[in-house]
Amino acid sequence: METFFTTSDKIQHIIKSFNLTKTLFVSSIIIGDAYTGKKSLARYLFPDAHLVSGANQEEVQSALENYDELIITDFEKLSNQSNFDFSNKRIIATANYIGNATLIDDLFAFIYTMPPLNERPEDVNYLKNLFVKEAVSTLMIEPHTIDEKMIPLNLTMNSKSLKKYIFLHLTQLSMDDKDIQSVMYNYIFKHLDGNDGYREYLNLYEIPLIEAGLKKYGSQLQLSQVLGINRNTLRKKIHEHNID
Amino acid sequence: MDINFESFVEWDSSPFILFNNSGKILYLNNAAEILFGYVSKKELYDISVSYAPQNFGYKTTSLALNYDSFLFHAITVGYESEEQISLRLYNTPRIKPTRKLETDKFITTNINILLEANIALFKTKNTNPLKLLTDQDLPAFKIDQNNFSKLLRKTLNAFRSSDSIDISLKLLIGQHVIIDNKKEPIIQLAIKANGRYAETDDEIQLLAAESQIKSLLKEHSITLEIPLIQ
Repeated sequence: METFFTTSDKIQHIIKSFNLTKTLFVSSIIIGDAYTGKKSLARYLFPDAHLVSGANQEEVQSALENYDELIITDFEKLSNQSNFDFSNKRIIATANYIGNATLIDDLFAFIYTMPPLNERPEDVNYLKNLFVKEAVSTLMIEPHTIDEKMIPLNLTMNSKSLKKYIFLHLTQLSMDDKDIQSVMYNYIFKHLDGNDGYREYLNLYEIPLIEAGLKKYGSQLQLSQVLGINRNTLRKKIHEHNID
Repeated sequence: MDINFESFVEWDSSPFILFNNSGKILYLNNAAEILFGYVSKKELYDISVSYAPQNFGYKTTSLALNYDSFLFHAITVGYESEEQISLRLYNTPRIKPTRKLETDKFITTNINILLEANIALFKTKNTNPLKLLTDQDLPAFKIDQNNFSKLLRKTLNAFRSSDSIDISLKLLIGQHVIIDNKKEPIIQLAIKANGRYAETDDEIQLLAAESQIKSLLKEHSITLEIPLIQ
């Protein structure tokens, strides 16, 4: 069975409201940014409901004729929303944005707003642990090699970016120099063109080198010694790459 | 032929009152008896005197009177002696719903569940304190769940920034509404607060009318009288 974890008050109220109306024939919609868990929540609450995507107009039409209980995801993608008759059906729709507010107001009895992840710090933490666990198992990483504090929390695309950057971070951790060369090989192979390639792709090497060095050694003087280059050359490079 | 008209007046749905010359009630019909729950004897007597014809006889005046949910559009005041004065108030006709209720399509529902679900929805957006006084023993009744939920959502939403919201749900004892020639009991949902938004009042009235719910919208409150169809 699906589980759904949340400590958010808002979502707890949504769950409460859904649990109360579970057996009633009312139409509800959950509106919120992409990757905030709308579909998971609907699935968790209605594990047996038939599920269709609003991206497929015909499928939605025929499902409405055949089912009394229905989850419609991506509701905003449907083009003929005003033709729907939801009376005496249990409809649970999800949408990334509201679209035509009057129409939504007219169609749905319950209109819920899913809060984005950046308003749910404890949920982020839960998801982070979940994704790290998944990544550790998929990428076959030794868990003790991970530094919790270094794991990035990118919420620009909610759980999608959170997951992506956790996987990227952990993938990078397990790379050796050959892997890094191979990543650069693929990247350069894909992008190289024009007539200034040498200088352009030198960034790939110089920027991380200087940034990591400055972070590690603190001063430009010390770093120039570690790198074995002249302090002025280093300063010029820092200026050239706009490194603070 | 001698006809006694008294019982016709008695059961007239428009209130009829007969005062003596000091404002004491000599007679009142059933409708007037209910009306006196909402307006004082003195007020109606004063109205009778103000709108009385100059000489013996009867005078009908158009005027809008509003006592709680009772709406009147005219009155007739008459007297045939110095001792007695009568007042008849004319009920404003209620707009009949344009579409007939398809009660066979309604689903038997526990109204407390729908109300609680809507309160939970309200709480996802608002943090205002909210008091609920309800009767958990209200019988389940038939209603269009989706339409009624929309009505509840909009009604509660009118109180989105109000303080001290009081919600009460109870059976109105002794009052009935006739739907499809059947006498149905009435459940009253009353929401009161220190103030409210009124921009969706039209929509609330429309949704209520669609379910044959009587809506009473005031500055600080919304009252819904819901027929308990079984």
